[in-house]
Amino acid sequence: MQSTEFFFKVRETIIEEWVNAIFASYPLQTTGFLRTVKDPFTNPVADMTREAANVVYEAVSGWDKKPAEVRNAIDRFVHLRAVQDFLPSQAMLVFYLLKPLMRKHIMPEMQKAGKLKDYLEAESRLDTIVLLGFDMYTKSREVVAENRIKEIKSQHAQLVRWAQRMGSDVVPGDDSAAPEEQKNG
Amino acid sequence: MAKLPTPQELVASRPEFPSEAWLETKPVFAPGSYCYPAKVETMQALHMPNPHEWDPAAEDWNLPENWEKILCDAFEERLKKHRSLKLFMDICVRCGACADKCQFFLGTNDPKNMPVLRAELLRSLYRRDYTMLGKILGKKVGARSWDKDVVKELFYYAYQCTECRRCSLFCPYGIDTAEITAIVREMLHEVGLGLHWIMDPAKNCSYTGNHLGIKPHSYVEIVEMLADDCEDIVGVRPKTPFNEKGHEILFICPSGDVFADPGIYTFMGYLILFNELGLDYTLSTYASEGGNFGSFVSFNMAKKLNAKMYEEAERLGVKWILGGECGHMWRVINQYMDTYNGPTPKNMSVPVSPITGTVFENAASTKMVHISEFTADLIRHNKLNLDPSRNDDLICTWHDSCNPARGMGLLDEPRYVLKHVVNHFYEMPENTIREQTFCCGAGSGLNTEEIMELRMRSGMPRGNALRYVQQKYGVNRMCCVCAIDRATLPPLANYWAPGVTISGLTELVANALICKGEHKRTVNLRQEDLPHLDEEDEGE
Repeated sequence: MQSTEFFFKVRETIIEEWVNAIFASYPLQTTGFLRTVKDPFTNPVADMTREAANVVYEAVSGWDKKPAEVRNAIDRFVHLRAVQDFLPSQAMLVFYLLKPLMRKHIMPEMQKAGKLKDYLEAESRLDTIVLLGFDMYTKSREVVAENRIKEIKSQHAQLVRWAQRMGSDVVPGDDSAAPEEQKNG
Repeated sequence: MAKLPTPQELVASRPEFPSEAWLETKPVFAPGSYCYPAKVETMQALHMPNPHEWDPAAEDWNLPENWEKILCDAFEERLKKHRSLKLFMDICVRCGACADKCQFFLGTNDPKNMPVLRAELLRSLYRRDYTMLGKILGKKVGARSWDKDVVKELFYYAYQCTECRRCSLFCPYGIDTAEITAIVREMLHEVGLGLHWIMDPAKNCSYTGNHLGIKPHSYVEIVEMLADDCEDIVGVRPKTPFNEKGHEILFICPSGDVFADPGIYTFMGYLILFNELGLDYTLSTYASEGGNFGSFVSFNMAKKLNAKMYEEAERLGVKWILGGECGHMWRVINQYMDTYNGPTPKNMSVPVSPITGTVFENAASTKMVHISEFTADLIRHNKLNLDPSRNDDLICTWHDSCNPARGMGLLDEPRYVLKHVVNHFYEMPENTIREQTFCCGAGSGLNTEEIMELRMRSGMPRGNALRYVQQKYGVNRMCCVCAIDRATLPPLANYWAPGVTISGLTELVANALICKGEHKRTVNLRQEDLPHLDEEDEGE
């Protein structure tokens, strides 16, 4: 039995448990909605979470996934966690909630089959994904800061342009623009 | 040995079951989740009651000594004045239809951002004083007393609602949570609690006409600078008539369109369009802000700021008012203007398009026509010479701004215009547009940079739908008819769908408009190269 098969036997169970563990990082009163409504636009948080969880699980289990593919799949999810009310650790560590589930449902069987090394490699792949995600998290926070600066500038864009045009009538060092009394003095 | 927490321990931010009831939990005023308070001098300049220094993050908000009486009296006064409020307090059955419809709830997952619970914050206070069961059983039936933490809570959640009214669309009773939010904000202003980004523009509009407080002569100079740009681009300099008496039409738009990027391109669009039509119109420096910042403060402040429109229409002797692309302005005009400031001055009459002869019966009462209705009518009568291929670099989608869409039902006119001025148009998913449109997440005075983080999560449902059409159809431009949207959507798009730019509708109309006497157009209003230029060169 190939290593990936150990993962796919329990795929539905683990992803469901993992997604529910992520939902549990939100207040209790809201998790019922997150769990039950499936529409990607009326329940975007659940949709983003499930999209990320499915692809990350496939990547961890050893399917051929390019970093770009994984990045694309976790992009919305990381963007979301980055602006929700979490500490950076709380935002990102939800990926690691997969580990105890893997250790519970997959590790014992792989160990029995003498594939512990393969199992540990799968855990390392999760570590890699978290680091990819961390890059994206940091970038998201930078965009938030950049947005603040850009907004201040664009709110007054025309005012600044107008002020510059007014100011440009006076060329520094050019006496002709100075008031008469100053020239005479 | 010190024990490090496991990832689960780090993430688990809450116990399996909450240790306290939802009414007991208190909001945390962390930076990024609240707006800056208004300055004392601003509140004084507007004659607001109880102006004082305070900081939302501080323990003590320096409320006036008799704050509880002020608030109770203010609540009672409003219950007497607005029968709707009393009805909204009484009839909610907590069916939950509104719960998951709010973009703040979807983005924050905070249960108190469910519209039903946001209203319950006030309803619990109502229950104590105005219901028999509440008076007798108190907490057991969800009644509670005022305390300073309740004031903080009301403030926190009244400013996590953009009054977009998406929730009321789904309420079987038609409870308008936006009105409840508006009333809560009014009451908070009674004890001197206001926001800088709302009160400062309200003061500026009050004193000088526009939201930045730019003096009239400078305002005119900035508009003339934009007219210079139009001349560079089109080859024809549009007129900029200001404060002139005896014209048929007064044009009023949000002043953001004169100062802010990318709103200025929409303003240039207005100038080019009116010039091409030879429209008999004037602008005003006094009524130069249609967007009503007063509507985020109180009904009285909204009425006061809105009054300028009719006053100026009377002074200048115009027949009717044409209104630009603005959100809250149209909510106020469509829902409140008649009551606030009606009837119209005697010199005004039912608007008739001077170009097509169409009578705008829908505006018979307010005498104000939305520019999308006006332009759609022009196109319908084939009065505009349009070349939509000039916008061929744009793959567009349409954002229904909450107030024009839900507040006045302006759904098809802007789409009709857009489809005639661009060749590539795709709708966002149907449960995110038209009446069900998602708010930009920062309307009603929340478009301030200090809460950028909050805005990114409250705007997430809109950003998510935009991202979907970006990936599916290659959409690179989202259009709208709201100045606040033009300010708030660029950062939102930059976060959720980088590469999508935002514009008003009239910008695209002016891009496509072939004007009499124009030179060979090589750039659009943003001074970017027009598409197909290379092909034309080859053809020549």
